[in-house]
Amino acid sequence: MKYLISFLSVFLFSFPAFAEDIESRMKNLEKTVESQEKAIAEQQRVIDGLKGTGAALSPDNKTGRSSGGLIGGSALSNPNISLVLDTFFYSSNLTSSELEGWTIPGYINEGIEASKGYNLESAELFIFAPVDPYFNVYATMPVTEEGVELEEAFFVTTALPDGFQVKGGKFKSGFGRINGQHPHAWDFADSPLPYRAFVGAEGIIEKGVQLTWLPPLPFYTTLGIEVLQGDNEILFGTDARSGPHAYAAFAKFSFDATENSTILFGPSVATGKTKTGSIADDTEFAGDSTLYGLEFTCKWNPSKDRGLIVQSEYLSRKQDGDLTDTVASTTERLERKQDGWYAQALYKTGRWRLGARYDALDVFQDDYILSGVDQEFDKSPWRATGAVEYNPTEFSRIRLQYNHDRSSRTDETNHEVFVQLLFGIGAHAAHPF
Amino acid sequence: MIKKILFAVLWLCFLVSPAFAAINVVTTLPWIGSLAKEIGGDRISVTALVKPNQDPHYIEAKPSMILAARKADIIMYNGLDLEIGYLPIIIESSKNARIQPGGTGNLDCGQFVNVIERQGSADRSQGDVHPMGNPHYHLSPSNAARVAAGIADALAALDSGNAALYRANLASFEKRLESKKKEWYGKLRGKRFIAFHKYFEYLADDLGFRITGYIEPKPGIPPSSGHLARLVDSIAKEKPDAILTTSYNGKKEVEFLSAKTGVKGIVVPHDVGCQDGINDWFSLMDRAVGSLR
Repeated sequence: MKYLISFLSVFLFSFPAFAEDIESRMKNLEKTVESQEKAIAEQQRVIDGLKGTGAALSPDNKTGRSSGGLIGGSALSNPNISLVLDTFFYSSNLTSSELEGWTIPGYINEGIEASKGYNLESAELFIFAPVDPYFNVYATMPVTEEGVELEEAFFVTTALPDGFQVKGGKFKSGFGRINGQHPHAWDFADSPLPYRAFVGAEGIIEKGVQLTWLPPLPFYTTLGIEVLQGDNEILFGTDARSGPHAYAAFAKFSFDATENSTILFGPSVATGKTKTGSIADDTEFAGDSTLYGLEFTCKWNPSKDRGLIVQSEYLSRKQDGDLTDTVASTTERLERKQDGWYAQALYKTGRWRLGARYDALDVFQDDYILSGVDQEFDKSPWRATGAVEYNPTEFSRIRLQYNHDRSSRTDETNHEVFVQLLFGIGAHAAHPF
Repeated sequence: MIKKILFAVLWLCFLVSPAFAAINVVTTLPWIGSLAKEIGGDRISVTALVKPNQDPHYIEAKPSMILAARKADIIMYNGLDLEIGYLPIIIESSKNARIQPGGTGNLDCGQFVNVIERQGSADRSQGDVHPMGNPHYHLSPSNAARVAAGIADALAALDSGNAALYRANLASFEKRLESKKKEWYGKLRGKRFIAFHKYFEYLADDLGFRITGYIEPKPGIPPSSGHLARLVDSIAKEKPDAILTTSYNGKKEVEFLSAKTGVKGIVVPHDVGCQDGINDWFSLMDRAVGSLR
């Protein structure tokens, strides 16, 4: 009997759904017929138009062309998928082995990764969609020749009250300005020296949780804090401690200086436990690191065809711990207080964009104190960059970039040239300011 | 010290919180704000994110826009993918639960429109196409009426206490629109125009004129000099009544073609506030229709 009742109740519950299904199908059919009628009327209009005088002038009039691609999906299809192809030709006056050894002594022991000739940076896959009324999910998967990486995969809340938002998963930290940008959105082919020296070219991308707050003030203010796993191989290190061992906080302020210009600025800090072999070959450092950042951006856009972006960041890193020589098995105390900055400007006119950048390390601080003795490194690292971009549309970019690179503290100069090609297809999430 | 800062922040929050319960409407384009004002009257305050002189296709999500959206009770937008490049990130970054998609504070005005040029599929080799259809419906009396009705419904749902007021305002809007239609309709019937961008198709449908060609080879793709040279020949031959564009794009090309062919070039006002004296949607339509005569 119980079975019968439950069976009946299941049947009863499912029945209205079934009826609803038919009803909705009917509605769908009606809609289809309606839209086809519209389409026919539209086609008639087009045919009439073609019969008229201007047919030769309108190469893009609808001809029922079907590409069958996913490109036009945009809001029609979920989730939104896009692919950004980032490829470049690299040339330098240095040999390949000299490039590998083009480190920044006192900062990092990593040379230049790009190989001379053709490089495939990545084909980067982006996926995003609302999960439900409470969460959006984003994932970034650069596909390189080595395989697929999960660069980012995170959720963002959309329904918290009072201007609060939580982000969680693996994401780019809100620290600084360039850190949050994807490489394809950078204004140059490479990241500036302070990023390379303090956090690595890819920046702080961490597993963790972020809380941000947008208070209802008369001017734009965002405050954020993050608890992070601490995987960054240069600033932190997976094995520095078990469990989350990195924290970040940032504030961003912005206002429109004039009708066409906007200023954004703010401080950031990232701090945590460090265990890294990136300072010098055959060494391991274990200790504490704190990175401070200041960012400033001014954008002036009098029209869509003209614009100027001036952007600068100052980064300063304090580090204290033990440096172990892994060959000799000796340990010394190492204290580093170092800093770096960059300033860049991009001028846009029509489809062209001109860029200039200067970046340097050892600006105000160059302490590398080993067992109480400050090590002197002469020839402070610096670099000057010029770039020309041609953007056929907002979905394609061709960039020619030259670096006058004196970052390796030698008398030698690395004359680098990049010819970079960027293409975006599919429904790509809008870029932040 | 920290206490003092906290106090100052709290005090500021208090200072800027609205003193009375007017509905804070944020729109992307100014004309949507104008329609909202027709319906909402004194019960709403309106902020438009886009400036009237800006090209609505190329808008960057500025922090000030995010801040405005943060305080919105409802966000009203054009839809049909016109704002796809900036609105989603503004809505998400606003951290404002009221205006998220699917809620009562998120109004896609495009849903009320009889959309034309809807494409089953499209790719960007055809230019910056809008597969959901032509998004420039705001110069169309028939569609503006639908949008106004949609706005009235949305405001009534948000502020049910004043629903009757919104319905009354809608009725008087519709009445005024009917009498205005008599001024606008019929005068342009049978005219033929060349346009820079697919911007006037809805107006052409309503008012019975024809757009017979475009200066852009593909939507969003500027014409090359070779393309312009060919246009000079065909325009000289076909002699359309005028060449149309808006103040934010194609002015140079239209001036060039006009000088070469002797066909009049017209800069049609495209949004509320883009010229002196265009203070609402009706005056925008008056000027737009008037400019085509």
